[in-house]
Amino acid sequence: MHHHNHYYGQAHILARYCGLNDLHPPRMRGYLQHGWNVACGWNPVHEFFDGAWRYTWSDPPRRRGHSLGRRNYHVIGAPFLYLADMEPDLGKVPEEERSGTLWFLFHGWEGGGKGGKIEGDHARLISEIKETETEQVTISLYYTEFERPEVRRAYEKAGFEVICFGKRGWNYEGTDRRFLYKQLETFRRFKRVAANRLSTAIFFGTAVGCQPAVYGDPMELEGDNPLFGGQARIKRLWPEMHGKDVDLAAARATTDVELGRSYVMPPAELRMLFDWNVRD
Amino acid sequence: MFVTDQTLPPIVRGEIQPWTDRNPTGGPVLAAFLADLLPASAGRILVAGPHDTDVLELAASRAGEVTVLLRSVSDAEALRGGKYTVVTGALDGLAEAVTTPFDVVIAADGLDRLLGPDSPALDWPERAALLRGLAAPGATVVIGVENGFAVTGLLDRRPEKDRYGDDEWRPLHDDPRRPASAAQAEAALGGATRRFALFAPDRRVHTMIESDAVGRTHPGFPGARIALAGLAAQTSATPLLAPVTTAAEAAARAGLLDTVAPGWLVVLGPAGETHTAYLPSGAADLTADGWRLGDRLVPDAESAETVLFRFAAAEDVPGFRAFAARLGALEDVAFFDEIHDFVAAPFAATGRSKAEMLAAAWHRFRDRLIGEHRRHPWPPWMADGDDLVKTWLAMSGVEPTADLLKYGREIVDEAFPAAEQPDLRAALADAEAAQLKIKEQAGHIFGLERTMRFRDQQLRTREQQLRNMRDEMRRFKAGKVVKVASVVGRVARLRDPKRLAGAVKKRARKFLPGRS
Repeated sequence: MHHHNHYYGQAHILARYCGLNDLHPPRMRGYLQHGWNVACGWNPVHEFFDGAWRYTWSDPPRRRGHSLGRRNYHVIGAPFLYLADMEPDLGKVPEEERSGTLWFLFHGWEGGGKGGKIEGDHARLISEIKETETEQVTISLYYTEFERPEVRRAYEKAGFEVICFGKRGWNYEGTDRRFLYKQLETFRRFKRVAANRLSTAIFFGTAVGCQPAVYGDPMELEGDNPLFGGQARIKRLWPEMHGKDVDLAAARATTDVELGRSYVMPPAELRMLFDWNVRD
Repeated sequence: MFVTDQTLPPIVRGEIQPWTDRNPTGGPVLAAFLADLLPASAGRILVAGPHDTDVLELAASRAGEVTVLLRSVSDAEALRGGKYTVVTGALDGLAEAVTTPFDVVIAADGLDRLLGPDSPALDWPERAALLRGLAAPGATVVIGVENGFAVTGLLDRRPEKDRYGDDEWRPLHDDPRRPASAAQAEAALGGATRRFALFAPDRRVHTMIESDAVGRTHPGFPGARIALAGLAAQTSATPLLAPVTTAAEAAARAGLLDTVAPGWLVVLGPAGETHTAYLPSGAADLTADGWRLGDRLVPDAESAETVLFRFAAAEDVPGFRAFAARLGALEDVAFFDEIHDFVAAPFAATGRSKAEMLAAAWHRFRDRLIGEHRRHPWPPWMADGDDLVKTWLAMSGVEPTADLLKYGREIVDEAFPAAEQPDLRAALADAEAAQLKIKEQAGHIFGLERTMRFRDQQLRTREQQLRNMRDEMRRFKAGKVVKVASVVGRVARLRDPKRLAGAVKKRARKFLPGRS
């Protein structure tokens, strides 16, 4: 199993869904997509070994992977959807009590010596958020930005609450296996979810009832790979997800496609697919 | 011997001995067809060439006189003494002897076993003309025609010279005037009243289907299924380059399934009302509402198997799942190539519970999906065992118990014995799959080693964390605050006699073996 499978505790969620130990999830015979992806499900330089299966959230990455000569895909739906099914009451408040905007700043990544920082005009973005949002705003920073004081303080000084959901981990270490639990719990009390780039969080929030919005400076990511086609391609492919006031029905339909809602499968099937049944 | 106008000599020119024509044409399917085709009172019937007793009995039941022409002396001798007039010899010899033509001429065996080595080198149209010359004007003539462009011949892996037996003393299939298509055959015969695609393994008719109906069918439709069942029977003992199924489906898609049938039965002259198809299980008719098979009307639509193959190829598991659920909800279940638009054809296996039949149907589907190397999204560790069948049964709403899986397997093995020899393409694909398996297993080992490397790194990280904590603890213990606290603790123990006694006792135990 590749250590990326543990990111955000996704393998842990699926192990729990299958009735297995979710503290130490069993080895998965392949690669699990760990974030919404505009390519084949993984970054362009990701290593794959022969015979490993590729478990994607939805069908579009499978099709793009197939065009790249990659095979052995099986679409399973996003683990976040499995979690939402297993935790129907976590963080739930009456619909009319949901309020405010959970705002996700596009985040960098660990980098591994190849960059991974974001650069952009935070002051301008803050102004735009204030102009747009009518209720209280909570800014969610990934730890890569949360631990950069100059970024975190900019949002705190603007009067926003700033939170961080934790770390996804690296080499099986430091994974916050409650990462997505915390996100789910938080989403369920917010009315809106917003970000400066169409991203995983927007789809997760929309999937659990938030009104999505994508606006503001998308910022630059150090070492961003042009193979993905950039922001222009994303806007061409998902125009219905962009803007300050998007059509909710259209956004939900797209979210269902991108998270692979129709691909969610029963535990017994997933156990066989991951080779998680004990063999004689 | 006194010979009247209608009396034929027992032997005419061109007989062969020693000789036997093996596998005479016939079987109950052909007899059922002839029973519909021939009038109740047919007058004089000539059965030309080797035909089995099903055909001869049927002819005898419809005619005042049945003449059977056999070129083999021993075959003719074996048949004499019955209700037929048996003439031994070749077609050309009979043509010279016959003075009164026949009302019905049956040559379902074709025109290739009517001459002997001593006969003149008559080509196919000449033999046809001789035969038709024996029929009276307005007579019914039935002729079997072999298709030189049959999919079974195109995919036969034997060289042409090795496909035919001792009766090719002249290369019959090298005849430039031999019809190689239905159109050429009809042109040579001057038009036909009716034509059926003929599927006859070892010349025993397994399936007949009207050429028009089979020419208009599509892959997975009942017409194609009927033809493919006939093809499967026809090729069961033929060494093949590739499975006929794929080629036949492509032909059906192009509307050319009749064009590549193994042969035809051509009817000339008046004919009784016949059904669209004749099968081992009975007759079938294509109506405006679908195929009538016995008492059941089956929609002229794609089979469930075809739809499932398409979902699997598109890797559309949700679509597959929904379709499987609908199949599970059916009252009557059959093998999935026998279900059209959720109506099971009556020639499905019966006498089993619905759950058992579903298990069998999914086993059969698995065999076809995996065995034919079709595209699908499931990993090999699921495809190798029963996991796929378990998954699909659950999709159909049936709990896949071990017993159910076993019964299902038994039903399939009984209904579809394994092919005697795999075709060449399957053998090559199997070999390639085996190579891929080796490569993927090596990849799996690499992956496991890679995981172990990650885990080793994780252990090293933890080890370092432990070392750091231990160092911190050591430094902490060496600090003045901890030392003072330690002295204070000891003093506290000295000041408490009970705790002091307990501590002394504990230490003393170490020096007193056997004491607990």
